[in-house]
Amino acid sequence: MSQALSLYIARTSGVHRLHPITKLALAGLMLSGGLALPGPWLIYAFLVVVVVPLSVFGGILTALIVTTVRIVLPFAISVFLIQGFLWPGGTLLLTIGPFALKNEGLLFAIASTGRILMVVTSFLWFAFTTRPDVLMSTLTQRGFPPGLSYVIVATLQIVPRFQARATTILDAQQSRGLNIGGSLPSRARAILPLVVPLILSSLIDVEERALAIEARGFNHPGAKTSLLEAQEASWEPTARWCIAIVALAVVGLGLWLR
Amino acid sequence: MNHNIELNQVTYTYPGITTPALTDLSLAIPAGQFCAVVGPNGAGKSTLAYTLSGFIPHFYHGTLQGEVTIAGMNTRDTPLSELVLMVGLVFQNPFNQISGTKFTVREEIAFGMENLGVDRQEMINRCDDIMAKVGIRDLAQRSPLSLSGGQMQRVVIASVLAMQPQILILDEPTSQLDPIGSREVLLTIRELASTHAMTVVMIEHKLEWLAVYADRMVALADGTIIADGLPGEVLADEAVWSRGVGRTRYTQASHQARMNGLWPKGRSLAVTLEQAVAGFQAAQTTYSKKS
Repeated sequence: MSQALSLYIARTSGVHRLHPITKLALAGLMLSGGLALPGPWLIYAFLVVVVVPLSVFGGILTALIVTTVRIVLPFAISVFLIQGFLWPGGTLLLTIGPFALKNEGLLFAIASTGRILMVVTSFLWFAFTTRPDVLMSTLTQRGFPPGLSYVIVATLQIVPRFQARATTILDAQQSRGLNIGGSLPSRARAILPLVVPLILSSLIDVEERALAIEARGFNHPGAKTSLLEAQEASWEPTARWCIAIVALAVVGLGLWLR
Repeated sequence: MNHNIELNQVTYTYPGITTPALTDLSLAIPAGQFCAVVGPNGAGKSTLAYTLSGFIPHFYHGTLQGEVTIAGMNTRDTPLSELVLMVGLVFQNPFNQISGTKFTVREEIAFGMENLGVDRQEMINRCDDIMAKVGIRDLAQRSPLSLSGGQMQRVVIASVLAMQPQILILDEPTSQLDPIGSREVLLTIRELASTHAMTVVMIEHKLEWLAVYADRMVALADGTIIADGLPGEVLADEAVWSRGVGRTRYTQASHQARMNGLWPKGRSLAVTLEQAVAGFQAAQTTYSKKS
């Protein structure tokens, strides 16, 4: 049986206890630094000064590094190769056969990778420390459309179920003699008997699920309540304003330094 | 008598189909009654469940004729969002009834109550209470998606019961449960129906359980009611068997015994284990006296 899919890592850290909106504000601050500061070194300084301590406080630094490297490494390699060696003009640093590594291209690649790092780490930091259902109930209570919240969270949660069904259909069709290996045309022919039942059964599921959540009052008018209450310390609203001001200051500094 | 459910000459045809799924069906169920609905596949049982819960005509937009009144409200004129306050509906497949947004069973049970705006403390109390009653307290912190079919169905039933509907409609709710689980769930529903005066309409194929727990049995075939009465009467009716409704193994055994002259003359066919034992004991006594 499949487990719920979520990036959330359960911890009892102070970061985890923060209100989701405060964490959204902090993630916004990380993003503003990553996107507004001129590169490359200021971005990495911001990463070290802001993201790393927040990840340490959240007890998620190792997971954050591992996941970030997995996501960013392929991009970083391609950027270094393309920008470093194919930069038009510029100062020559190194020559490997017909390829010439340029200083300007290398700096651009470092800055681009830094920005991607900031975007990825801010998202992961937020996702690792925030339960999506708590976030969605918080947003719904603050006027976010509940239907949209449901779609976002349910999609993430139902992916493993969809995968399990695909495996079941694959096994069932193979047990009835469907050959999914062999040549390319043979593999192509095998797609239809796999995809059609998967789509049809999913459509039936969608109808049943729509009935089920309707039966449980999903479209009932009036204010919804939540079993999970996002705790908010008395200082957090003030802290959010401060974070917003710092984020604006970072954006201003970035514009001034350019 | 105060009827919680009233269907008056109801005929319903699904869109794009010419043959009605329900034909001229009239039925009145008083408050607090545990009414079982039985019948072969295609008899219109699930259509009846959708009609009683207001999904027909609000979700399935076919042709509905006649009147359906639930807790004093005409389903045609009452929005589904209001009907769900009165009517709880449990389907056969638990996987599709899990909200898909909750991390734990406790939160899954609270999903319906959250939608209705139930106070948080009240939600906590109801969750604890219903988990204990349905026997899933040990699953409280498990992910709903990690449960077996039977466990998941109990969670779904608990989540609907937590909304405290006046009327509970269950469409083959025990199809994923083992015999012990089925019995426990039926006992829970029976108990809740008694203590909270909840009207229960249960579509089910497990006739032996229904014979014990239901107050009344309605047999459907081809979209019409072919029998309506006490479970013992309906299940012992040979005309009902011939329409594909089925019979309990005790009824089968006592019928076979009657055919072979081994069942006491004038005695009704057995529907439950107790009736079968009593019947065979009476037959044995008669046989001993003769010999």
